[in-house]
Amino acid sequence: MPQLTRNFSIKARDFVRAGEVSIQVQGVLKAIGFPAEVIRRIAICAYESEMNVVMHGGDGELRLKVDTGSIDVEVEDYGEGIENIELALQEGYSTASTEDRERGFGAGMGLPNIKKNADSLDIHSKKGEGTCLKMSFMTGGGNDGSRGK
Amino acid sequence: MMAAEENNRPFHYVQVVEEKCNGCVLCMKACPTSAIRVRKEKARIEGVCIDCGECLRVCPRDAMRAVTTGMDLANLSRFTILSVSPVLYAQFGPEATPNRILLALRKVFKFVYDQAFTHELYSAAAELYIQKCREEKRDVWPLISPVCPVVNRLIAYRFPSLLDHILPIITPRELAARELRKRLYCEKVFRLEDFGLYHVTPCSAKMIEVKEPMFLKNSYFDGILGISEVFNVVNKYIAEVEEEIILHQSSGVGIAWGLCGGEMAGFGHGNFLAVSGMQETIRYLEKIEMGLLRDIEFIEFRSCSEGCIGGPLTVADKYQAKTTVERLTRKYGIEKRVNTSSIKKAFDEGWFFIEKKSAPSAPRKRLSISEAIERQDQIEKVLQTLPQKECGACGSPDCRTFAEDVVDGNSSMRECVYLRMAKKGECK
Repeated sequence: MPQLTRNFSIKARDFVRAGEVSIQVQGVLKAIGFPAEVIRRIAICAYESEMNVVMHGGDGELRLKVDTGSIDVEVEDYGEGIENIELALQEGYSTASTEDRERGFGAGMGLPNIKKNADSLDIHSKKGEGTCLKMSFMTGGGNDGSRGK
Repeated sequence: MMAAEENNRPFHYVQVVEEKCNGCVLCMKACPTSAIRVRKEKARIEGVCIDCGECLRVCPRDAMRAVTTGMDLANLSRFTILSVSPVLYAQFGPEATPNRILLALRKVFKFVYDQAFTHELYSAAAELYIQKCREEKRDVWPLISPVCPVVNRLIAYRFPSLLDHILPIITPRELAARELRKRLYCEKVFRLEDFGLYHVTPCSAKMIEVKEPMFLKNSYFDGILGISEVFNVVNKYIAEVEEEIILHQSSGVGIAWGLCGGEMAGFGHGNFLAVSGMQETIRYLEKIEMGLLRDIEFIEFRSCSEGCIGGPLTVADKYQAKTTVERLTRKYGIEKRVNTSSIKKAFDEGWFFIEKKSAPSAPRKRLSISEAIERQDQIEKVLQTLPQKECGACGSPDCRTFAEDVVDGNSSMRECVYLRMAKKGECK
């Protein structure tokens, strides 16, 4: 069974290049030819989690694993961690700094948005030790009808 | 490349003039869809071309050409009718008023119309549509202008998930053509076969828009003429025209459309944005695809920098043209003159709405998802062995595209100059 894995590093506080990783992830998925709807959901999740790393995370990494039936996106960082995951999943809850909010980020929609768009979401985090987000997406077999191959 | 794919490739109206091409890499590097390759010292358009004209702009040898209907009178109908983009008015000096420009064209062409009269109608309809989406609390934001044919095709090929964002309103140029056609044919001015309706345009992508429209069953135009093609006609006759008739009808609202931001200037209040230039357009489309910019209601994209005045078929420098447009806009005023209640009625009756939605899609090899994943994996592996100097000497625009070409059997590793030099160094 063919499988593709790619790793991308994300730099903390690099707002100039923020979003580049998500664009590259989209590029890979488009080149393979997954349905636009799936790519769009992944793009949103990849972007939101990338921004979380840029804002809160310290440096981190996005690991993309592409299978015929599913796509896994894992985003791990070595930053401040999440104190209360349940709270962080509520819309509008944010711990972003005033500075980041002034940039237009940190509206408290990141994790809720990810939860809405991913088929499954696992969050592992410990205050002070970093965060690992595991997201899975079902691909529906792709646009060539090779479902369940 | 497989023969089936060759036939499958969508047609486009930008072509290479082989005699003039010396096989440099400029057009290949400029192409936003990586459609160009250089083979045997000639540029070839092999991939998905969206007729944007970037290659026309960068070619120093005039070896790229946008196909138009052309000024060859044999190609034109017996009675020629022109519908003129207001960008034409920005090509000349201060003495050349829009009316004189249109009258000069009339020395050669049977009938000449100022297209810009429909711009105000379109603006009103677009505004009504945006308002409707607001009221219905639709979830597809931002809405995207349907006006730029290059952007529409860019979305179709590279951002298909955004097709639903495009406003389903007929463009002003086609609204104008539809009305002209109705008037001339239904009122029995001409028989259908006797006249041809041509669009005078700054845009290299209008030919594809006329031949294979995305949102209409058929275009209401028969063909296009580039502004650069009619430029000399205007120059030749403009001094001798007598202004006994008024052909110019549009106000500053219509004329300002040539500039990026001119479209949304016709709307009322709202959270709108105007973006121009190919690179910026791509960047913003990427952002929308990532779920950003949802607080914005409407984005006016123009693939040419500064808007249609920067189109590849123009003559005047785009910054000079910008000043001219601003001057003309001031002169003719920006007051709206349309009757809102009659537009509302036409809107409700569907007068403004597109006839179909057909997005072209990139022809690709019929790979299953597992084959496509394997291909992508191979491309990554080949890419790792390449120097990533992005020189283009292999005939592909960049190392990644070269890796794709190698994996697809369209190029070979021997084409890489750096790898060849490294090999030679070892032999010595």
